[in-house]
Amino acid sequence: NTCNGYLLATTISPEAPATDPARLYNFNRGTNAYSLQTDLRYKLQYNPSLHLEKKEAAAWHEVFTAFYAFTGRLLAAEEAQTASRPREADWSSVYDSWKEVLSAVYRGYSGNVFEAWTIPCLYVVGKYLRIFAIKADEQAAASQRESGLAFGELQEEDAFGAASKSEKLEDAARQINRIFALCLGDRSPLEDSRKWALYYTANLLFKTYFRLNSIPLSKNILRSLRASASDTPELSSFPRAHQVTFKYYSGVIAFLEEDYASAEELLTFAYESCERRATRNLELILMYLIPTKMLTAHRLPTRQLLQTSPTLDRLFSPLCTAIKRADLRAFNAALEAGEDEFVKRRIYLTLERGRDILLRNLFRKVFIAGDTEDVKVEGGGVGAMARRTRIPVREIAAALRMAGATEIDDGEGGVDTDEVECLVANAIYKNHMKGYIARDRGIVVLSKTGAFPGTGV
Amino acid sequence: MSGAAQPNAPTSKLQPSSDSSDSTKQPPATKPAAAQLDEDDEFEDFPVEDWSKEEEVGAQQQQQQGGNNTHLWEESWDDDDTSDDFSVQLKAELKKMEGGKKG
Repeated sequence: NTCNGYLLATTISPEAPATDPARLYNFNRGTNAYSLQTDLRYKLQYNPSLHLEKKEAAAWHEVFTAFYAFTGRLLAAEEAQTASRPREADWSSVYDSWKEVLSAVYRGYSGNVFEAWTIPCLYVVGKYLRIFAIKADEQAAASQRESGLAFGELQEEDAFGAASKSEKLEDAARQINRIFALCLGDRSPLEDSRKWALYYTANLLFKTYFRLNSIPLSKNILRSLRASASDTPELSSFPRAHQVTFKYYSGVIAFLEEDYASAEELLTFAYESCERRATRNLELILMYLIPTKMLTAHRLPTRQLLQTSPTLDRLFSPLCTAIKRADLRAFNAALEAGEDEFVKRRIYLTLERGRDILLRNLFRKVFIAGDTEDVKVEGGGVGAMARRTRIPVREIAAALRMAGATEIDDGEGGVDTDEVECLVANAIYKNHMKGYIARDRGIVVLSKTGAFPGTGV
Repeated sequence: MSGAAQPNAPTSKLQPSSDSSDSTKQPPATKPAAAQLDEDDEFEDFPVEDWSKEEEVGAQQQQQQGGNNTHLWEESWDDDDTSDDFSVQLKAELKKMEGGKKG
């Protein structure tokens, strides 16, 4: 029956379908404030083809009454917008009037009048509440700037302690949270439960909290979902769009908490289950999955993977090439070049840790470039040739210097061996290298087997 | 129980009032500008709510690789290139140091 639910939801959609672009205009112009009530009554209650119960008709009556008022505001705002009078477009009142629609719809559910198959209506009210909130906030910010209310450092907001710059979006978050709670608390049997709107609503909240920079609030949502896991359908029974979006946000939240193991699992699922033509979303998933994989599995994206997106290619290719070649100069340059974008997406610090892998690769190169030596065999004599496992610290220092590791310079043209030993010790500690430093002899003694775990030597 | 056959009946049955001043121009199409709302990490709405396993990225890979995901991720070191500039220079430098040490 969900098919009907989506169709029903289109009746209260702020976006007219492509096949009927003038629908809202016609709806609004088709009646007026005086005859609205009567018109609605005829269409809903006295309409022989609808068979609505009295309470249901009344509830829808309220919804469409609010919707009518809303279309008036929306049309006015859009008209101002298209007539190049954007400052007159009152998105704030569009938001307020849409909120009335949301409230009417909410009441239909809280009064247990609307059945569960209609929940796509909840999707519509939630989705557009966010959109209008963002527009309203943007407009408020723009008009503040334009009316010159920012006097150098002293902002209008500071002076009067007035509303924050995301007033409407914060309000939207509260409203959508009410919807979330409404769905969570539904005790009906699953075939008829509002719980089916849970993940869609949770995803709306994630998007909102992220935009508001209040990501920790997302954890409350995750907690609530986990707490009611026993009487909520499995995530896998929800539409894939809900699943993938949820896993993406859960993955990013885990990433930001440095729970990289969970992040890898969640983001991998999101990636593999994603609709293959959703290129932007795939790009977003990989934006976090790539740094994650670098840390957890020490694996880098292939050329093939990076070429699926120009943005990913630009951001990550130079970095990955530098790591593989142990080219510290190139790594630093790549990190700096992408710094602004990395920081904005909060992946800078994680990517910086790629330096550890790079250094391991560098030490590995020193090992491979080194001389082979005879291996003593039991009972005397000489056995096979193997790479020497004792490497002078000064040779490692030389390699570091060649690669552009400025941190080992002692400021006087020489090398700070303590720094070098520190880098080596770090690599050993992180299990990138197996061995120990014989400080008195100035050499690094590597394990005869598997000196560089996971890399084949 | 709600035998709602055509739920979108209310909006489609209302007739536009004959407003002569408007009859000459097109009624404006409504389109809240959702397009400008891209925040850098905000997931986009999928054009469809659900899709089959065949439409997933994972399934596509399976077909191409015969079950292997190896074309996505690779090792983080580069063994193939011991002949790259850096390795060659490094070897030379180390040889020089070894020679100096022994001398």
